[in-house]
Amino acid sequence: MKNEWIVFLFGRVTVKVTGKGLERLLNVLMRNEIQIWNVKRHGTDTITFKISLDDAMKLRHIVRKSGCRISFLRRSGAPFLMRRMLKNSGFLIGAVIFLSIVFLLSNVIWGIEIKGAKPATEYQIRQELDKMGVKIGKFQFFVDNAEGIQRKLTNNINELTWVGVELKGTTYHLQVVEKNEPKQPKKLGPRNLVAKKKAMIVRMDIDDGQKMVEVNDFVEPGQLLVSGEIGQEEKEPELVAAKGDVWGEIWYKAHVELPLKTTFNVYSGKEKRKYYLLAGGKEIPVWGFGGHEFKDYKAEKNIHKLHFLKWDLPVSYVDKTIREQEKAIRTYTNKEAEEKAIELARNDIKSKVDEDAMFKEEKILHKDIKNGKVILDIHFKIIENIAVGQPITKEIHE
Amino acid sequence: MAKSWVGRVRGWMAKNMDLPQDVMMDLPRITMIGQIHIYIENHRGLLAFSDKELRLLLKQGQLLIKGNYFVIKTILPEEILLEGKIDQVTYINENPGGTK
Repeated sequence: MKNEWIVFLFGRVTVKVTGKGLERLLNVLMRNEIQIWNVKRHGTDTITFKISLDDAMKLRHIVRKSGCRISFLRRSGAPFLMRRMLKNSGFLIGAVIFLSIVFLLSNVIWGIEIKGAKPATEYQIRQELDKMGVKIGKFQFFVDNAEGIQRKLTNNINELTWVGVELKGTTYHLQVVEKNEPKQPKKLGPRNLVAKKKAMIVRMDIDDGQKMVEVNDFVEPGQLLVSGEIGQEEKEPELVAAKGDVWGEIWYKAHVELPLKTTFNVYSGKEKRKYYLLAGGKEIPVWGFGGHEFKDYKAEKNIHKLHFLKWDLPVSYVDKTIREQEKAIRTYTNKEAEEKAIELARNDIKSKVDEDAMFKEEKILHKDIKNGKVILDIHFKIIENIAVGQPITKEIHE
Repeated sequence: MAKSWVGRVRGWMAKNMDLPQDVMMDLPRITMIGQIHIYIENHRGLLAFSDKELRLLLKQGQLLIKGNYFVIKTILPEEILLEGKIDQVTYINENPGGTK
């Protein structure tokens, strides 16, 4: 049996034949292997049938011999459809342009909303976004994806602790958490100040409360420094919130090891960019063909989802950057290594103590160069505020 | 004389060797689906066709199909598919009355 679709593809014609001896004609057609179907009789000397477009050419020839008259009634199928479509190509072009405009507009950034930021920070974020090319009216697939924006913003703006970037439709929503949120003045309850670390006291600046220790005293963690109970001895003591700074000298010991020789991977600056369309797990290259000749490289992939109106298309736009890497070797002399090690140790200590702590003295206790490594033990004297508040509860009072 | 001998051998083979009769004996194979479709294989040509009647030439005799609203859906050198409302299927043996 014939396949409807193939027949449709090549086109078909409805033929009307008038004359005598129609059955004979049908038999001749049959013998010439001309496929006909839907044969119908209309009256005594007329039949209609359908025939494929290529056979229609041969038909004229055969029918002429038989002495019947033929006429073609209706043409259908792909070739005729194509011809009609070309005639009305304006509609087709219009439809394509319309769809592409809708598609392009669906992938444009139409809004950037920033929540949770102070006006100053918001301004800074907007400037940073501008620098990245994230602006209203830009195409989404030419800018970084949401994770990239998030990473860059967090790296480039110090005031931000965290920023969540989410792309909802055509709008970027940025949820911002700032580092120094405006502090609410806390209402302090009655409290004592106690030591948080083992230290020797060097200075005391008490605003409120009864001093319990003296300068040059050694204190243990948890020891009472400033009492919140004030007043004469006979009277009922008044409870206040002890306030003030107690500066103590604290000793820290740091152990650092630093190799003299370190290998790094650095980018050589050579890169190759490739663009793909990602559809169903398959990558179809769009631009940037051919391989790369980098021996050592790192590839960075940036996937942009494409949208049509509110839907995500199953096709994504991918830009891939392949950067060449080189091995770089950093070598320190012994002296440089020592300096670096001390700096490392200092940074390490800094991260452990409060921000307003001061370095008073540092002393190298032990130095060793072994197996290509500098090993240092350093002693630090640091002056730090050791007072922490401890609320006065009934139990302590009694 | 020779022909009938060949025919007898064929008949015997079909009977005893379990071969399909239509292949061995050149007989038409007719398949009907209810009243609406009839499918005839192994015919020898179209003799008459109108919307009430279809007459086919067979190797021996003719086949006459009567009914209403006939449409030939497919026609190939040895096969024909007819659609419509079929009332009767008749074999016409070779007789002087045939339209031969």
